[in-house]
Amino acid sequence: MTQTATLDLGNGESDLIGRIKTTFARRTEGRAVVLLIIVSIWALIWESTVFTAYEVTLGRLALIGLTAVGLTAVILMGELDLSIASILAVSGVVMASFDNVFLGIAVSLTIGLVIGAVNAFFVVVVGINSFIATLGMLFFLRGMAFVISDEEPVVMANKDFALDFGKPLIGEFTPRVLIFVLAFIAMHVFLTRVRVGREFYAVGGNREAARDAGIPVRRRVFTGFMISGFVAAAAGIIVTLQLTAADPTAGGNALLTSFAAAIVGGILLNGGRGSVLGTLLGAASLAILQVGMTFNGVESDVQNIIIGLVLFFAVITDPNSIRAVLGSARTFFRGRSAPDPAD
Amino acid sequence: MSGELTTERTPHTVVAPIIEAHDIVKRFGGVAAVDGVSIAVPPGEVHGLVGENGAGKSTLMRVLAGILTPDNGSVLVDGEQLEAGSARSALEAGISLVHQELSLVPEMTVAENINLGFTPTRAGFTNRREQRRIAAEALDEINVSVDLDEPIARLSVALRQFVEIARAVARKPRILILDEPTATLTPAETDYLLDMLQRLAERGLAIIYISHRIPEIFRICDRVTVLRDGKHVETVDIAEIRPNELVSKMVGRDLEQDLQSHREPTAPGEVVLSASGIRAHGVNGIDLTVRAGEIVGLGGLVGAGRTELVRAMIGADVRSAGDVTVAVDGSVRRINSYQSAVASGVAYIPEERRTDGLALTMSVSDNIALPNRRRLSRNGVLLFGRIAEFAKRLAHDVGLRPPEIRRAAGDFSGGNQQKVVLAKWLGREPDLIILDEPTRGVDVGAKVEIHRLVKQLAENGAAVLVVSSDLPELLELSDVIHVVRDGRIVGTLSGIDADEQSVMSLASGEASGSAA
Amino acid sequence: MTVESTVEVGETPEPADPEVGVEQQDFNALEWVSQQGVFVFTALLLIFAGIFIDGFASVDNITDVFNRAAPIGIVAVGMTFVVISANYLDLSVVAQVATSAVLLIAVSNSYNMLLGMALGLLVAIVYGIVNGVAVGVFRANAVIVTLSTTFVGLGLLRWASGGSIYFGDPDGVIATFGSTEIGPFPLAMLVLILVTLAMHFVLTNTTFGFLVKSFGSNRHATRLAGVNTPLVVIGAFTVCAFGAMLGGWVLAAFSNTAVSSMSAGFDFEALAAIIVGGTSVFGGKGSVLRTLLGVVFVSALTNIMVLSGYGFGYQQMAIGALIVLAVSVDALARKVGRS
Repeated sequence: MTQTATLDLGNGESDLIGRIKTTFARRTEGRAVVLLIIVSIWALIWESTVFTAYEVTLGRLALIGLTAVGLTAVILMGELDLSIASILAVSGVVMASFDNVFLGIAVSLTIGLVIGAVNAFFVVVVGINSFIATLGMLFFLRGMAFVISDEEPVVMANKDFALDFGKPLIGEFTPRVLIFVLAFIAMHVFLTRVRVGREFYAVGGNREAARDAGIPVRRRVFTGFMISGFVAAAAGIIVTLQLTAADPTAGGNALLTSFAAAIVGGILLNGGRGSVLGTLLGAASLAILQVGMTFNGVESDVQNIIIGLVLFFAVITDPNSIRAVLGSARTFFRGRSAPDPAD
Repeated sequence: MSGELTTERTPHTVVAPIIEAHDIVKRFGGVAAVDGVSIAVPPGEVHGLVGENGAGKSTLMRVLAGILTPDNGSVLVDGEQLEAGSARSALEAGISLVHQELSLVPEMTVAENINLGFTPTRAGFTNRREQRRIAAEALDEINVSVDLDEPIARLSVALRQFVEIARAVARKPRILILDEPTATLTPAETDYLLDMLQRLAERGLAIIYISHRIPEIFRICDRVTVLRDGKHVETVDIAEIRPNELVSKMVGRDLEQDLQSHREPTAPGEVVLSASGIRAHGVNGIDLTVRAGEIVGLGGLVGAGRTELVRAMIGADVRSAGDVTVAVDGSVRRINSYQSAVASGVAYIPEERRTDGLALTMSVSDNIALPNRRRLSRNGVLLFGRIAEFAKRLAHDVGLRPPEIRRAAGDFSGGNQQKVVLAKWLGREPDLIILDEPTRGVDVGAKVEIHRLVKQLAENGAAVLVVSSDLPELLELSDVIHVVRDGRIVGTLSGIDADEQSVMSLASGEASGSAA
Repeated sequence: MTVESTVEVGETPEPADPEVGVEQQDFNALEWVSQQGVFVFTALLLIFAGIFIDGFASVDNITDVFNRAAPIGIVAVGMTFVVISANYLDLSVVAQVATSAVLLIAVSNSYNMLLGMALGLLVAIVYGIVNGVAVGVFRANAVIVTLSTTFVGLGLLRWASGGSIYFGDPDGVIATFGSTEIGPFPLAMLVLILVTLAMHFVLTNTTFGFLVKSFGSNRHATRLAGVNTPLVVIGAFTVCAFGAMLGGWVLAAFSNTAVSSMSAGFDFEALAAIIVGGTSVFGGKGSVLRTLLGVVFVSALTNIMVLSGYGFGYQQMAIGALIVLAVSVDALARKVGRS
């Protein structure tokens, strides 16, 4: 039986311009790029020390980026992890309580994994929404950090190690930056090349389809939260080493900036869309912004306002949100009917 | 020349079936969706499965694919019985089902989706080369070319359908089941798909093909099984039956069964709803009018565009072109937004009552009060006495049983839930009432009552528009039936003259003899 | 999305038996605990405290508990609307309460009290609209939105106030209000009760409250009933903001001081009170009266802990655990109810 010729099924342009266009249209990092450009221009003009004293900026980027990268794994699956701020605090406090630094680090990281598993337990086994589950854990762990530390900063026993940690290790880069680079590369490879990581997108993009295809959704969710917990614990360790003391109130800022970085970077809160590259760009933008403001003498309160605004606008310029607004606007102005896009 | 479509295949000699199902029974809450159906398909055969909505086709296929566990019966592949209700074992035995609702991950690429769940790995890392090879091979098999790296979200619906098929084919199945695959395809795309399926069959694949579209069945199927009300009616060779005969078997009913009375023809009143040039997603230019006291029925297959039309008309979905006006008390109002439609006296009873029609955790009384809140409150304060009275009266009018209006709506049976939906809109005394599949999932008793209510509404002067896939219902209620296909009205029948055959013929395209 | 749909959509036909119009539901113990348990638990807690905790049952202590509970209670009662609308919570109450307190005292000192109150009202409206529009029109996640508005709001407050502590006029109206007591009951309690009753009335007796419940129960059906749903969300956040404003005033009156840090912990204590009180975080139903009871429970619990020598850290742990536990019971109750 002869067959009909290959059908034009609306495949799109295949010439060079067309391919460039489609490549860009597929990417989600647009807003992060825009923000990075804006922030870089601002810094170049007003506070170029951001670039000349780049070790500081890189250090900040490393910290914001680290927690944001962990968050990315969780958000891609359509969940949230609000407890990272407190995991950071708890892990710092735990590590500082050990005289043996390495033992302290090992225990801290383990705790991060355990907390992640607990979070996942409440989400997939008990069936609580991850927003509320991790919010409760945020409060609970914050209290635990206070209890363990006796409400005071815990000074490290091995100060030398902490100080060494701040010194460049390879070339100009401090261990903190190297850890972040490693984490970023690992996560990037994981999410793009490793099958389990790719399945995160399926779990977030179409959970039913993922289940039907035989993907062990529960196991993936556990993995995601444990990654986030581990990374948050690592961040806590780094912050403590930087200050040579663990602050039980640490982490609030990390919560704000990590979410801002990830969301600006194009991660869709519903899951299934986004990349760590976007998170990196978002983290870079925020690092430049924060460091620039600090060098410029901007008070921390004003800094909070700015970062808060970044997060606010990042979350309302989500593609879903834009669609929702356009729909409502259409009804309001032109009187044309509007669908309920979040349906 | 319609009616005499012959196949080009010779009748099959008896070959051992590769897949068999024996006496499958599947119940949902006491109702048998599939009631003792057996089917057997040899390799290389394209076996059609036809029947009206609710005949049990999809349910049967999901049992074969191991997605549903049958209450009775067994499925065998190559003579070996499969583990009931195990999708994995069905997959391993070589059964691949292409679902009606596409199960693709929007942000993942074509290659990834084709391999979803079976992604080849090397030490945990995705073996991209192998992944692409498998995907390319599958696409090649169905002769479709798509950029392997394109995310599904950016593909047209038709392409997504083909990717879904490629996914099924990539598993190298021995049995391929397709459930209404052409519902969203254009005629040219449908041709393409059918050619592809024929080639696959020639290579020894057994194919089970569910469709409402009679020309398609006649084009590629060797044999066809007819289901009706969950039961097996007949399995025939395509060469031995004519299209209109097939349609008869699908809809055939014992004439002894309750002969529903057609409506008394009444002289319809003024035009209430006037829609012209409606275009929307799935709607390709429709004009429609409904008069006071008239019941207009919209017939057609699932996916023909009826729900889309209705929602576009009243503003529940985006309309790309067209005007809609509603005449109320002599004044004509343009309908642009859903809220203005409701305010102008339009009542819409949606297809999905559980997600769109009712708030299941709220009481019946609260549900009834919701659209009527303005007359049940004064200055924003609710008048409970009036609400209770109102709800009680309406619950009684629709025959809610038991009339416990303070119970949560979700506690009631489907039929009662639908009555609650009706009740809440009746309270508004609407001038135009639109019902989308008003008795889907509703028991027989409630169905009769709902029909009575609808007729009464028209008698009281409302303009009524009914979308229904239930042919007897459509015929019983309507004064006029418009048959919709592919987003256009392809025929208009008067309620008295129409019969199930004529509606079905128009809806499935059998009458025109075209493939889609 | 992780929100579990409570509705199965599909072609499965319903029971055909016309006699059985209503599905019989077995008693769901977990559901009872989740919704009505607060009565029992609160009573038990109070009895336990009265007997075993030294100093709990003293008049001074009771007054102290009331004084602490009042502002949190007012906030919780207002935030109940947000929770019922299935928007989880409003984290920005922390910023709102402190702002309202500072505005009251600072402006009273420099100008007059009414201006301070008017400004507080204005701020509440702004918060309500900003949060409400972001969540209702832009469909953004309420937790993230209110997280961002918290930082913006607190940042603004601290920047404008420089972190300073404002002291009210010791002979002023505010101070008088804050120190008036009727027996063991501070005047603040009266405000709490009045506000609760008013909110209860709004929630159960007005169209608006009805729409909030309806929206939380099923937003599609609510929209299809012709309701302007973004307005409902804006309304819920505005009610919450209003509650935070009043809570801030009461908090300021108690100590006759205001400082930007005084509202720490209000977000999670209010949420705990709401959830323990039986309002489901899934939305659709709830009661402001039970929230009040939840406030009593949470306040008593924190008081017991303080009296027993357990500091802030333990209290936070207890409340965090309480939230997770209460929501778990709710979630499990739904699972059981569905099977």
